[in-house]
Amino acid sequence: MTTTSPSVRTSEFRLLATPLVLFLLVFLGFPAIVNLVYSVSQVSFETLRSPQLSGFSNFAAVWNDAAFWRSVWFSLRFGVLTALLECGLGLFLAIFLSPLIVKRSWLLAILMLPLMVAPALVGLMYRLVLHEFVGPVPYYLWTWFGAGVSFLGPGSAFWTLVTVETLQWTPFALLLFYMAYQAIPADIGEAAAIDGAGPLRRLWRIELPLMAPTIVAALLIRFIDGFRVFDNVYVLTGSGPGGATASLSIYIYEAFFKQGAIGKAVAASVLLFAASFAVLYGLNALATRRKGAAA
Amino acid sequence: MTFSQIRKAGLLATAIAALMASPALAKVTVLGWPGGPEETALRAAADAYNAKADVAENDKVELLFFNRDGFWDKLQADLAAGSTAFDVNLLATYSIGRYAPFMEPVELSGEAESVYGEAVLKTMQFEGKQYGVPTDLSLHFMYYRKDLIDALLNDDAAKARYGEISEKLLGKKLEPKDPDAWDWDDYAATALYFTQSVNPDSPTRYGTVLQIKNLLFNIMVWQSLPRAYGGDWMDAEGKVTVNSDAYRKGLETYKLLYDNGATPRDSLSYEFPEANAAYASGQVAAMLQWNAAASDLTSTEKSPAVAEVTETVAPPSGPEGRFTHIHGLGFGLNKNAANKEGGMKFLQWLSSKEAALTYARNNGAPALTPEVVKEVSEERPDLVQLGEFAGKYGYVMTGGTSAKALSVYELQAKEFTGYWSGQQSLDDALANTEKGMAELLK
Repeated sequence: MTTTSPSVRTSEFRLLATPLVLFLLVFLGFPAIVNLVYSVSQVSFETLRSPQLSGFSNFAAVWNDAAFWRSVWFSLRFGVLTALLECGLGLFLAIFLSPLIVKRSWLLAILMLPLMVAPALVGLMYRLVLHEFVGPVPYYLWTWFGAGVSFLGPGSAFWTLVTVETLQWTPFALLLFYMAYQAIPADIGEAAAIDGAGPLRRLWRIELPLMAPTIVAALLIRFIDGFRVFDNVYVLTGSGPGGATASLSIYIYEAFFKQGAIGKAVAASVLLFAASFAVLYGLNALATRRKGAAA
Repeated sequence: MTFSQIRKAGLLATAIAALMASPALAKVTVLGWPGGPEETALRAAADAYNAKADVAENDKVELLFFNRDGFWDKLQADLAAGSTAFDVNLLATYSIGRYAPFMEPVELSGEAESVYGEAVLKTMQFEGKQYGVPTDLSLHFMYYRKDLIDALLNDDAAKARYGEISEKLLGKKLEPKDPDAWDWDDYAATALYFTQSVNPDSPTRYGTVLQIKNLLFNIMVWQSLPRAYGGDWMDAEGKVTVNSDAYRKGLETYKLLYDNGATPRDSLSYEFPEANAAYASGQVAAMLQWNAAASDLTSTEKSPAVAEVTETVAPPSGPEGRFTHIHGLGFGLNKNAANKEGGMKFLQWLSSKEAALTYARNNGAPALTPEVVKEVSEERPDLVQLGEFAGKYGYVMTGGTSAKALSVYELQAKEFTGYWSGQQSLDDALANTEKGMAELLK
């Protein structure tokens, strides 16, 4: 048996890692550097190749822009609410429908259908569904109750958007939770039942703790997706009257394309990146500490 | 495999790649405005051009369409990046200043001036240079239900009720008038009269439908109202003048209609198609809308509930006159076009009488001179009205073709919809707009 020396192993590792490093440098590193330059420059579409350095004025403009903070607040509220609603509903459905799905697995495929529709298309679909003179929902509300309901008015647009997002993405949480629920060994439940634990006690004390890692992961994924929402909100309401439904992604898009404020848009992206990095770093540190404590 | 075989395979692959690439380079690719009558007209014009015997195979036209959502942003990004994906691209009056650095001035056919007239050709000019062929002119019509207005004008009890409503909500007693004689208060009074929440006897649910989504095109529809009261973006010295009584009047009128339920509550999310759908349902009495809606709203197939009773006039008047916003859509030449010569040939043909009539007969909306429009007046009576209104009432706001014109519209859309939705005061909306415009237009 031959052994490979450490220096050869290092050379092989470097050789094998080179394509990946090059890929990351070209497709992530270069745009990141350009973005950092743009974020401290006065730049427009005409001067993309010759930006003028301007210090931190773009960051100051974003920091002092009330619309930026409103979009941050919108994204936070939207992300937290939709993550909680989708995961809550998904968990309930996964456990409640589990006996049914076990016997008729095709039901799961039907429940997954909303995931197959592109978010922008969902937005378009609800533009029709909720239109007072075209959509079935307002039609029946008018016919049965004589009431014209405003789904996308200033007072209701946020909740309509939350509902649309929840309806589309609850199946994703349902799928994760159903898989986690099915993965719990049956003998644990049987042992608990023999020891006299009822269904609710088993759920609370055994099944939910065993599903906890999946629940946390699902909450995190859904929060990230909700926080960065763009497609369906933009199609349904745009940035809303006075910017009322502008998520952070929409704020950045509009600053870049609509206002031509490229530096400002990129500065907002950099701030978002820094905040995301801090949150993920914090979560990672917390998880590592808990793992260490458990060991 | 021997080296010789490898070399032969390589040469073959290169030849195949070259063959596959060459036809794409030779064609003239035209980027059009998708999903509306403009697309239908452009397709017909391209077919007619390609069928001409003197058009070389290499110069035949191929069409390319983006989605309408974010069209101008995508075009901006492509042009700035030096894209060669299209040779000829769509251009609008309000975006010429923005795109001119990435486009070539064009030379039109000798017939162009007699076909379109100088004023219309100017909608495609920037700093004295012609950047495009003006294929479609857009302006606004007041669409109204003739049956309802006639009934109102012939009913004394209804007239009295109309007077009561106008006195209560507008502060002055008005009498119903023929829509062609409306000022903006008459329009508002009529809208309120035909609103069931104001007048339970109204035959329609709403008196009007406002398209007031936070979208730049909706500000273009609205701004003829302040214009009729003397509103403009800037004065002769370049000072921003939107914080004025005229803009105040325009904003307050829409707010009054929205707050009194004269337009659907979801109007703040309405744009062109939603407003058309509301009007076509038969539950709306009058609507200010783009001329492009005329063919659908007067088609018995597409709008059976209203087609036969819908008529159009120019927007209402105000103390300073009667106005309709106008802008042109057209086609210009990409500075980085792969087939610049072919693109120029197509544009020259597009500015000819033959092309203009083909475009007009296939749902396009070119503003043609009286002599030329005669030839299609039977098939397209709306084009006669289009030319007439553009000539009599058309205007472009001062600064409306500048490089930042679109950004100004965006700013106004955000601030004014903020006021209409009750999220900020009128004073704040106007002050924010004035400040933002001064920054954009400096």
